Amino acid sequence: MSRPRSQAEYLARLVPPSVAGLNRRSLLAGASGAGALLGTGLLAGCGDSDSGSGGDAKNVSLGSNQSDPKPKDVVAKVMDGFKTSSGVTVDINTVDHNTFQENINNYLQGKPDDVFTWFAGYRMRFFAAKGLAGDLSDVWGKLDGYSDAFKKASTGDDGKQYFVPASYYPWAVFYRKSVWQQRGYEVPKTLDDLNTLGAQMKKDGLNPIAFADKDGWPAMGTFDILNLRINGYQFHIDLMAGKEAWTSDKVKKVFDTWAGLLPLHQPDSLGRTWQEAAQSLQQKKSGMYLLGLFVGQQFSGADLEDLDFFTFPEVDSTIGAKALDAPIDGYMMARKPKSKDAAQKLLTYLGSKEAADITVKNDPSTLVANSGADTGAYTALQKKAAELVGSATEIAQFLDRDTRPDFASTVMIPALQQFIKDPKDISGLLTSVENQKKSIFTS
Amino acid sequence: MTAVSAGRRRPVRPARVVLHLFLGTVAVGWLFPILWAVLTSFRSYEYTAANGYVSLGGWTIDNYVTAWRTAEFGKHFLNSAYITVPAVLLTLFLASCVAFVIARFSWKLNIALLGLFTAANLLPQQALLIPLFRMFTEIPLPAWMSDSELLYDSYWGLILVNVAFQCGFCVFVLSNYMKALPHELYEAAMVDGASVWRQYWQVTLPLCRPALAALATLEVTWIYNEFFWATVLMRTGDKFPVTSSLNNLRGEFFTDNNLVSAGSVLVAIPTLVIFFLLQKQFVRGLTLGASKG
Repeated sequence: MSRPRSQAEYLARLVPPSVAGLNRRSLLAGASGAGALLGTGLLAGCGDSDSGSGGDAKNVSLGSNQSDPKPKDVVAKVMDGFKTSSGVTVDINTVDHNTFQENINNYLQGKPDDVFTWFAGYRMRFFAAKGLAGDLSDVWGKLDGYSDAFKKASTGDDGKQYFVPASYYPWAVFYRKSVWQQRGYEVPKTLDDLNTLGAQMKKDGLNPIAFADKDGWPAMGTFDILNLRINGYQFHIDLMAGKEAWTSDKVKKVFDTWAGLLPLHQPDSLGRTWQEAAQSLQQKKSGMYLLGLFVGQQFSGADLEDLDFFTFPEVDSTIGAKALDAPIDGYMMARKPKSKDAAQKLLTYLGSKEAADITVKNDPSTLVANSGADTGAYTALQKKAAELVGSATEIAQFLDRDTRPDFASTVMIPALQQFIKDPKDISGLLTSVENQKKSIFTS
Repeated sequence: MTAVSAGRRRPVRPARVVLHLFLGTVAVGWLFPILWAVLTSFRSYEYTAANGYVSLGGWTIDNYVTAWRTAEFGKHFLNSAYITVPAVLLTLFLASCVAFVIARFSWKLNIALLGLFTAANLLPQQALLIPLFRMFTEIPLPAWMSDSELLYDSYWGLILVNVAFQCGFCVFVLSNYMKALPHELYEAAMVDGASVWRQYWQVTLPLCRPALAALATLEVTWIYNEFFWATVLMRTGDKFPVTSSLNNLRGEFFTDNNLVSAGSVLVAIPTLVIFFLLQKQFVRGLTLGASKG
């Protein structure tokens, strides 16, 4: 039974049930609904069928978490591009980034937009496995310009693709070229180099490594990169998926190594935001800073040009230094879009070189995932970041995207902060993490 | 800090000095966060980033302009009005109906009914989140009432939720107030042949004006400030009320606290206006009985 579209049509349907032959059950259902209060109770029984019979593929809706002014503007421009190329209009529903993220469960189980912005990795696989996202294998058949690492990051547990990557940013160790030139520092290749360099910086009166963890998440980046360097990508992903024990010697070694590096980090980090840590790098008080490419938001003009980075040095020569955190943002499709055809058409466009070109032209702070895009407008820093990720053998998505959101926020944030406060009791801490992990992952 | 009011000079006793010191401290304690936010909202981020918040300078009103523009407050203030105005009116009307029955008629379930409304007031709203969410996604609305065609993601749904959760408190307050009205009034009304409706509408409600005004002030503030249901039961960013849209000022990686302060001050203004507008009613409500004797 389709819904009435106009008030007249609606009123015409309010005939007594005895005449209309409405059955008893739907009448009861209607009366029990809170709709009765509004005088629309009669209608309530009629509506389990899909909303909108969906023949009109002239229109597709997009749920977007890109609420910052710049990215919001870019999304609008890309959608305009889609409209000119296909004739289908896109209704953009922008919800601020944090609210969107916190509400994703409700959102997907309610009545989501046809296409929505989301993250690659475990967070994508989690909802794909619950059947809350649409299969995009067909769309991937039409896409090109993506490396295998991107395809891997877009694939669900069942081997099908559920995600179209749009942009990403790598995590690396940032530093100011001028400071390093003046003091004659060299980019460290191994952990020992890093330790020597740190000791030298301390002697020169610098904080070797800027550090902040007031918000809880920045320290995850340090844990990720150490785990990737010490135990490799596969172990990291399995650990995040709850398949490996946190009490194992492998994890212990990560924290031991970190504890050894902590004296090189900026002290009192739990009271500092990443912005403040980035400013200490910008003010030449700190020597280097492990963070995402967005650290550049705290730099402007000549300072930004002075910014450079290197990937975190090798710890174990058998593992190498080729894996890194590079969170990928992109798009997914709702499980039941109003028009599957239009939604897939939009997703194919979003994965295309044209869409990537529009993004590069309008937003100089992101890296686009499509390697076919014209990256002539990239800054030197962007070019280097793209090369770094392009040469990566595996891409992790960052701790809070690679594991269950509740595990990341309720277990890992306090655990890492506890470790930073008191790096001595590693095994006690890991036992507690392991216990909480078991209860969360089995629930 | 001496008390020189009322013409007559009284010796300044130490107890009085302590009292004033205490009152002054508490007042500053309450006002400090608000004044701090107002102060911060008028300063540029660059200045406070460089000099810290314990400094003076960098004055600007750009934060207000930017906040109004980026968070689209104009649109969202309207959304808040769509929700708050009908919800407050409906709550007061329904609650006064129930309160009238509870206060003026004696039948067996009186106490039980009042107990039910008061007890529901103590129920944590969050506990009802999942059942309500499921219900709302199953209850259809015609397209001309909401483009979502569901109670979910519609103003109707939010109005309903707010009315349901606010009724309990209003019934409690109003029924107590109505019980205090002199019984003779109703006897006189009945002698004059006034129907129950007339007793409610023309005798009780006018006398309840102070209580209704006080409740209206509180309810407007509460429903306007309501944030939880609006975020959970709404899906379309453009339909969010202004409290939820305040989040638009937080960046993904970067939050400009000065900008957020400016936004918060803007959002707080309507509640202040309502309070000062209805303040007279509010105070009259407190003294009305006293002067009548």
